Amino acid sequence: MKAPTSGSWTDIAVPDFSIPWPSFDFLPDLPGEMSHYVIGLPVIFAILIWALPAKALGRSAVLAVLGGVLTLIAALWQLLLVPTEGSMVAQTVGPLAFGDLEIPLLLSTSNVFAITSLVVALIALVVQVFARWYLWFDPRYRQFAATVSLFTAAMLLVVNSGDAVLTLVGWEVMGWCSYLLIGHLSAKASARRAAAKALIVTRLADAGFVLGIVALAAGAQTTSWEGILEHWSRSPGTALTVAMVLMIIGVAGKSALFPFHDWLPDAMEGPTPASALIHAATMVAAGTIVLAQLLPLLQSSSIALWTLAIAASVTTLLAALLAFAQPDLKRLLAWSTVSQVAIMLAALTAIPVGEGPDVALLHLTSHAIFKSLLFLAVGWLAVLTGGTVMVYVASGVRRYGSVRWPLGMGLLALAGVPPLVGFVSKELILVSAESGVAQTNGGPALLVLAAVGAGAPLTAAYCMRAWLILDRALDVPVVSATRGQEVIDDFFTEPEVVAEAIGVEEAESAISSSARAGVTTLGVLTVLGGLLPFTTWFEVDLHLNIPLLVSTIGLMAAAALAVVAASRGVRTRDAAARLPARLSLMAERGLGADTAYQALVTRPTLKLARSVVWLDQHILDSYVRGAGASARWLGQVGQDVSPTRPAKSLALLLGGVGLLVVLGWWWA
Amino acid sequence: MIWLLLAVFAPLLGALGLPLLARLVPKAPARVLGVGSLGFAIATLTGVVGTVLERPKVSLEWIPALGVRFDLAVDGISAPLLLLTGLMGVVATAVPAHIDADNAPGAAVESSRLALYYACLLGTIFGAVICFLAGDALVFFIGFECVLLPMWLLIAQFGDPAPQALARAASLRFLMVTALGSTLMLIGLLAVAASTGTTNLQVWAQLAGSTFSRPQGLVVAGLLVLGLSFKVPVWPLHTWLPWVHSSAPSAGSILLAAVLLKLGTYGLVRLVIPVVPAGFATIAPVLGGFAVVGIIWAGLACLVERDLKRLIAWSSIAHLGFVVLGLASGTEAGMQAALFGNVAHGVISGLLFVVVGALKHEWGGADLGTPHASLREAAPHWGFALIFGFAASMGLPGLAGFWGEFGAIYAAWTPAPGRPGGFFVLLAVGAAVGAALAAAYSARVLREVWGGERTKPAIADAGRIELLVVAALVVIVVGLGVYPSLLLDSTAPVVSTLLTGAP
Repeated sequence: MKAPTSGSWTDIAVPDFSIPWPSFDFLPDLPGEMSHYVIGLPVIFAILIWALPAKALGRSAVLAVLGGVLTLIAALWQLLLVPTEGSMVAQTVGPLAFGDLEIPLLLSTSNVFAITSLVVALIALVVQVFARWYLWFDPRYRQFAATVSLFTAAMLLVVNSGDAVLTLVGWEVMGWCSYLLIGHLSAKASARRAAAKALIVTRLADAGFVLGIVALAAGAQTTSWEGILEHWSRSPGTALTVAMVLMIIGVAGKSALFPFHDWLPDAMEGPTPASALIHAATMVAAGTIVLAQLLPLLQSSSIALWTLAIAASVTTLLAALLAFAQPDLKRLLAWSTVSQVAIMLAALTAIPVGEGPDVALLHLTSHAIFKSLLFLAVGWLAVLTGGTVMVYVASGVRRYGSVRWPLGMGLLALAGVPPLVGFVSKELILVSAESGVAQTNGGPALLVLAAVGAGAPLTAAYCMRAWLILDRALDVPVVSATRGQEVIDDFFTEPEVVAEAIGVEEAESAISSSARAGVTTLGVLTVLGGLLPFTTWFEVDLHLNIPLLVSTIGLMAAAALAVVAASRGVRTRDAAARLPARLSLMAERGLGADTAYQALVTRPTLKLARSVVWLDQHILDSYVRGAGASARWLGQVGQDVSPTRPAKSLALLLGGVGLLVVLGWWWA
Repeated sequence: MIWLLLAVFAPLLGALGLPLLARLVPKAPARVLGVGSLGFAIATLTGVVGTVLERPKVSLEWIPALGVRFDLAVDGISAPLLLLTGLMGVVATAVPAHIDADNAPGAAVESSRLALYYACLLGTIFGAVICFLAGDALVFFIGFECVLLPMWLLIAQFGDPAPQALARAASLRFLMVTALGSTLMLIGLLAVAASTGTTNLQVWAQLAGSTFSRPQGLVVAGLLVLGLSFKVPVWPLHTWLPWVHSSAPSAGSILLAAVLLKLGTYGLVRLVIPVVPAGFATIAPVLGGFAVVGIIWAGLACLVERDLKRLIAWSSIAHLGFVVLGLASGTEAGMQAALFGNVAHGVISGLLFVVVGALKHEWGGADLGTPHASLREAAPHWGFALIFGFAASMGLPGLAGFWGEFGAIYAAWTPAPGRPGGFFVLLAVGAAVGAALAAAYSARVLREVWGGERTKPAIADAGRIELLVVAALVVIVVGLGVYPSLLLDSTAPVVSTLLTGAP
């Protein structure tokens, strides 16, 4: 934390009660650096799991959880050792011999990235534990566990990277792992489509990311982030703007900013633990990490700053609106991810020059905690109710009391209700944007302040809507997908026997104690995480802007009340049912983004591809075919016109040649 | 020295000895021939490994009147390619020879025919080994030509049995195109030889085109580049490749992709860039432009291609586009990337052709339109090999394909001084878009072939030998991807001498 600076009544400094942090110098030195362990362990465990026999699900689970625990320990160890100033640097397989270009391939971990690593490792562990229960009957659990482990390693590589090429490595490996996880149920056509869509959309945007890195490296003659920052802060200009805009395009792809956002809601086809990982701690958050590392360069290019601010602001508002109208709880969460990730990126553009990216990373951490909590709780609920469509989950927390408080906590944190972690991080973003507006180039900050400010009541509205449905009174008849009163079985004709059978099924799908412990941990962190800004890892301005705070909370409360009012009289207590049918249908389809992709990109590309193949076969290849045919024809002509028996002249010719050879030999 | 003899004579003996054996023992069992040829290939690989470690030099008097000596040597650039040739020789002879008896598909194959098949494989390897060892332009050319005939036989005689006309057309295309390419190259080589009075490649590199006037250098470079572009192949001279791959037997495809195409790029590195640097610099923008058009053209074709083997052939054209783009940039980074991409493409396309060749055999055709059982359900080992191959082929970091692509894009963004910078930046953008196309077509194939709910018609999964082959290739692809210095450090010193002209 940072010492507060101003003292007007609207701007009250929070009393400094920074949490004391002892020194951990007594920890023994291990061979190598800690970042090697943080990244290496999940890779090694991914390989170990993958090398097990196909049916060894139990052993896979043991290795997956063991790997998760060891990675968590390594991340914690790293956090304890990392200095408050500067960063820990580690060698990897570099430097590479690429001519004039220096590719040192160093890892570099500073304070705030060490705590981010810890959160990533923690959520990955919880996801592994949860997935063991969730995918108990899945014959491909082994592949899933190995992919999750590799995915974690890739994200940790991005977080701890000190080199643009290493970042790119982690970035792309994450994209590939997300492809595998989204398409995990590869027998399902929709899952295959969603996986392919995620891969293609993000890779298309990655063309920008690769070119951005190439442009940055070309100027600096090195791929180390440090060298790039040093070179480009000395020479800002058009080249830097081009490079940064290219980077932003890449980030927009992975972080699902408009217009690349549509892959993310579709990615719900993956198993819920995978969604929790992709949406919370990894993948979508990676863009924030990269741009946070490049913050000084982002700030020195006003075009890049505006591009990101506009894309993020549009995305956050649009996604929050769409989230409200979703007929499926999981899709609602997906759109809320789009909206929340855009807030992190927007926060980066609003940070006053000279301050670190810590507020954005704080929101990343906070979002990671409460979003993984929400996803896992919804996955748990889905197992109990048989689906995540709103009609199935209606009254869910009344019927299954055990999911009540995880879901409640998660929604409150998402809505940003004090004192939960979501409130703290969002409020600090607003404060930071407010002080960003005051500086000379405050345009983007103003936009962000408005967008995040307007996003707060929208978020509160959709959270309220979800809660009203989940918490509907039980006297209304319950619709259930696979289980429930409609179980028809000749063996259970008497009512109480049916009830007992339902009880058995529910007991079977009851959560394992370890998975429940994981969810509980996340729930506790949702509360305790509010203390994060008071720790030494985050350097944030601890101000309370009273008017800002009061107006935000007032707007949120008003929005929530409006939703409550709208839900009255609706059977499912779904406030979105008040929307016109056309509108909610459009929202369900993401405003037709998929159709637009098809019409604007896919179909023209395929058309072009067909014409290319036509040209290839009918124009380019015709010369080759013609050459082949004419050579043959010539040969045939030659054969036809020449006598088939040797003529006398041939004998003379051969004799002459022989004579010449003999003469030449004798001469020599 | 003994290693060099082994590397050169093992494939030659095999190529000549196996048909002789079949002639002497007409009832030689197929197993003997298969194991025998595998033995010769392993001996070649052993010889090559020894040669690479020992780095012997041979220089024999040959045609003194023309200044031609029989020079064989290894350096940092040829060593990886020699290893690749040795390895792929083993792979090609180890995979099952899915060839049919003459004119009677499915019937038992006569031993003489089988012997000829293996002799062709070993003959191709022999030519390639000579080519990569050559320290003399004429020796290089002879190796280059030695490869053609066995390859042509493989395509014409042992290819796809179903449409004979197609196989014949494909082999004719191959012969025409490569013979034309070699002729153009030969004219270029003779011009250099006439001007320098020697055919020693090292001397050529030291002279670095100083014996030519500017227009002469340009013409010679143009001839050589044009001739080699047929082989690489560079757009728009690429049209033969998909046809040939679709009819070649899978071992033929493996050698074609992993070894033959490398001769073209290796020729550019050895015979053109150091020999006529000024001329090459003049045509480099055109060459780079064609390379990038090829990347996008082939990537687009892959989106709609219906034959899986042809699709892999198209993807090869795209990958070699990156290699040529790296060479065209004229920088050390570009050449490093090109040499890396060259080897990486050899291993990755070899792996893909192993898988796709087996699938074509199991499916009875490589058409993607016919409904097949999902590989992940029906044949998980092949499924893994396919998804791994495509991941590597789309340039996923951590696997071998990445460094060549990234390096080529970087090199195009920062071309050598004197090249048109703005144009090359455009080329870099095009190449990056082409890389995105690779993801699109990989996703397309995996969606259609790898995933899916179909489990019928059932197909056999990979056998033990095939698994071993796939595992070895996977390890190499991962090894090169995770620790690229293995290759980069080998080529780096030679690259800087080739580009600066210093001995």
